[in-house]
Amino acid sequence: MTAWAIKIEKPLPYDDGVRLQTALVNARIAETIPDTVLFLEHTSVITLGVRAQDSHVLLSNADLQRRHIDLYRSSRGGDATWHGPGQLVMYPVIRLGEQEADAHGYLHNLEEIAIRTAGDFGIAAYRRPGITGAWTQAGKLAAIGIRLKRWVTFHGMSFNVKPDLSGFATIIPCGLVGEAVTSLEKLLGAACPTLAQVRERMERHFSYVCRRELKCASPADRLPEELAKILGSNS
Amino acid sequence: MQHNPDDLKYTKTHEWVRRKDDVIEVGITDFAQHQLSDITYVELPELNRRLDAGEEAVVVESIKAASDVYAPIAGTIAEVNEALANAPEVINSDPFGAGWIFRMKPDRAEDVDALLSADAYEAKLPAEH
Repeated sequence: MTAWAIKIEKPLPYDDGVRLQTALVNARIAETIPDTVLFLEHTSVITLGVRAQDSHVLLSNADLQRRHIDLYRSSRGGDATWHGPGQLVMYPVIRLGEQEADAHGYLHNLEEIAIRTAGDFGIAAYRRPGITGAWTQAGKLAAIGIRLKRWVTFHGMSFNVKPDLSGFATIIPCGLVGEAVTSLEKLLGAACPTLAQVRERMERHFSYVCRRELKCASPADRLPEELAKILGSNS
Repeated sequence: MQHNPDDLKYTKTHEWVRRKDDVIEVGITDFAQHQLSDITYVELPELNRRLDAGEEAVVVESIKAASDVYAPIAGTIAEVNEALANAPEVINSDPFGAGWIFRMKPDRAEDVDALLSADAYEAKLPAEH
């Protein structure tokens, strides 16, 4: 089973990302596109999951504006998180229940992809019971939050390659008090890979773990109009 | 994964349906609860709400995921499982029993017949390996 990979090179505002995903989810439900995985970076933004507490945002709206950080209430599960340049975001829009790999549980699979990707760069990441994500001794490396519509997934995983980690100091990440957030750059220093290198590994692990071989969507594929528009304005 | 009971009917969106006198009882399958992992919140529907088949009835949330639950057939909400307000994790531990979510009075009781059998539902599920 093959799936499209769509890579967006320029940091995308969060609301554009939501529009893009909504277009993809609707197209996937209508079966006009195959399973599709978006890889992108966001511009600086704090997002709150459906049941997140507002108190997990530590800055006032005025301070957020001054620091050019947007704030969104998102439809995903999970609590507060920050996205921004230097963080690799993966949003799979896939219909669950169609591959043997899905029997393991989708959240488990996302963790597995993050852990394998970290391992490729010499970082031993692991799971912690009850707090989904990829963790290291120095803190959380990858955060996960998803939504399902007719069992098609959206939202997904963010993996800290080399973001400005001070973005996370503006929130209580995932609502977990006293838990640190880390990045590959913090762990590896000058040996930190580029986002493109991490993405290449992540694509490979997605293909293996989720049993869906990724191929780049080309202009010849019939992309949903919304997607073509955003991709067009982004390239 | 837990066996899908033979006496229930199923939907492609992973709801199960149990006939109970003049109402149907609805919950989510073991496959569904496993995908969501630890369930922390259930947004229950309002009583007497009329739903079409396939319409969004409920939102089920876990620590990291949120999913809609759909009305398997057309009908009216007759009862909701209030116990889930304080113990939503029952959906994880007993998805086919105490984890039922709502009961509906069907518009047409015979609509249940058209839903999937346990065998037909299971055939759509990914095999474990």
